[in-house]
Amino acid sequence: MTITHRLSLPALAVLLIASAIAAVTFGPADITPGEVWSVIAHHLGILPESPVSRLRDAIVWELRLPRVLTALGVGAGLALSGAVMQALTRNPLADPYLLGLSSGAALGAVLFLLLGLTLLMPLGAFFGSLGALALALLIAQLLGGATPSRAILAGICIAALASAATSFLIFWSATGDSYREILSWLMGSLSGSIWPDATLVYLALAACLPIILANGRALDAFAFGDTAAASLGIDVPRLRWTLLGATALLTGIMVAIGGAIGFVGLVVPHTVRLAVGSAHRKLLPHVMLAGAIFMLWTDTAARTLFDPRELPVGIITALIGAPVFLAVLLRYRRIT
Amino acid sequence: MRHLGRFSFILTLLALPAQAAAYPLTLDNCGHAITIDAAPERVVTIKSTATEMLLSLGLGDRIVGVGFQDGPLPPHLALAGAGLPILSDKLPSQEVVLEVEPDFIYGGWESNFAADGAGERPTLAGLGVATYVAPAACRSIKPVKLTFEQLFEQIGELGTIFDADEAAVHLIADQQAALNAVAPDPRGLTALWYSSGTKTPYVGAGSNAPAMIMEALGLTNIYADIDEGWTSASWEAIVDANPDVIVLVDAAWNSAEQKKTLLAENPITSQLDAVINQRYLVIPFPASEAGIRNVPATSDMAAQLARLTFGE
Repeated sequence: MTITHRLSLPALAVLLIASAIAAVTFGPADITPGEVWSVIAHHLGILPESPVSRLRDAIVWELRLPRVLTALGVGAGLALSGAVMQALTRNPLADPYLLGLSSGAALGAVLFLLLGLTLLMPLGAFFGSLGALALALLIAQLLGGATPSRAILAGICIAALASAATSFLIFWSATGDSYREILSWLMGSLSGSIWPDATLVYLALAACLPIILANGRALDAFAFGDTAAASLGIDVPRLRWTLLGATALLTGIMVAIGGAIGFVGLVVPHTVRLAVGSAHRKLLPHVMLAGAIFMLWTDTAARTLFDPRELPVGIITALIGAPVFLAVLLRYRRIT
Repeated sequence: MRHLGRFSFILTLLALPAQAAAYPLTLDNCGHAITIDAAPERVVTIKSTATEMLLSLGLGDRIVGVGFQDGPLPPHLALAGAGLPILSDKLPSQEVVLEVEPDFIYGGWESNFAADGAGERPTLAGLGVATYVAPAACRSIKPVKLTFEQLFEQIGELGTIFDADEAAVHLIADQQAALNAVAPDPRGLTALWYSSGTKTPYVGAGSNAPAMIMEALGLTNIYADIDEGWTSASWEAIVDANPDVIVLVDAAWNSAEQKKTLLAENPITSQLDAVINQRYLVIPFPASEAGIRNVPATSDMAAQLARLTFGE
């Protein structure tokens, strides 16, 4: 198909690198692209001296670059998790947060915030998401095994419980303007991402990516149902647990860093699937790169459009994501 | 010229004969017409700014309940405010408020008057309970840029409502005198008003108490151009502006010390000149919203500012 050729992997990779190089030059601070690249070259040991003042150097190296890299990683992770979840549960509405992960993460984050552990909020979010996943899978197991529908139902249950607990905590504790921090986190925001955040995102990707990518063919088999997959020699329960675990770990880290950024994990896999087809060995790498590019540009918009203010990126992903998705659906309506 | 204007304003107020107010009063408050049939006798105050205002006017004996206080009362009001019945640590519900049979509810934020809070304003009016919001905290109409003169007008308005003109005139005169004693810093310094938030800082912008106080101190707010009371900001824009001074709002849930730690530990904010040189001004949270604590806080911050050294 011609569409397939237009969205080739090398083209996406080039677009991603070009996007990153361009995105670091955008920002509220008035620094020329040449200066920005020189600062980065200086820190990479290419240039002996930084061409700008200490603070402007820090703006590029400590603020913009880690944030751009974090956005790329989070976008890749969320889009990939979404694609895997959709395949595992055979549910087109699935997203990375399906099993209550984001609600659990929110609960963990709010708890840590209320305990005064503001700086450890990501850790709270991570524990919360893992806790939610463990509970959801435990419930599914109690119902007689983690089939897609049981996992989804258990996830809905956990999500509802965790959201209620979060709302209750906010209601119970809201003092002055303390709720602002929580709100901005709930909407999803990559602001304030620093090098340790970026590092964590890429460590999670490095750990989960091989497991997920290696099972592309098996994910194709899942599409035909558990029985069909089993007849192809796949150990269905074991593989489902493995992939759910990897996806949850990945999503947990992404949520911990960026909050519950919506839409990326839902819209990007569908859009890319329309362009490259649903063979997972091909789909997954494309989804990853497309998710990274989408996240990078939405986050760049979030931090620059309303200069000197910032918008939570979750608002932009939905604002841009929904119409883009609709346009894609309309364009390829014959295929869908 | 500015001082002359203030002076004549005070003269006008002092010249007002201390006569009984003409009830019923009809006032416009945040676009709501409110009618006061007689000086309120049973008042519920919500948020610290409301409680402190009435205590400063010597009206503590009219308060039958307080809710949603942001912090302890300032020392000079602690005695007057001791033993005030606390309806709720958080926003009290409509039934809790009505239970004490108030004839007047004074809310620090307009959002306090919601169905899941103290009650909607029309509902309360229908029950014969007058409601009042500090004009600077209006949301249903956009308040104009806050000035100390407006704050003093609000004190005068409450004096009229409570038939306490004399107390109001004295309070205004005291506050005006304290304010006149504050000399704007001549060094042409820039400042950031850091209210809350970690990853996305929430800062004082161009139109409310933060702007008013910073202008009186002679500080140029780096977020002065945004026509709102407060705004979500970005660290990049802040680092780019590199303010000379940072104002830290000291709240129980996010103290000035926590903010100092955060600023010093973050790899980017730790590079700010104000952070490196520890050039901070601290203001308690209840004093950072429009009310009678703005003037004392301004004096206090002027003293803090005078102790800071720059250059070399």
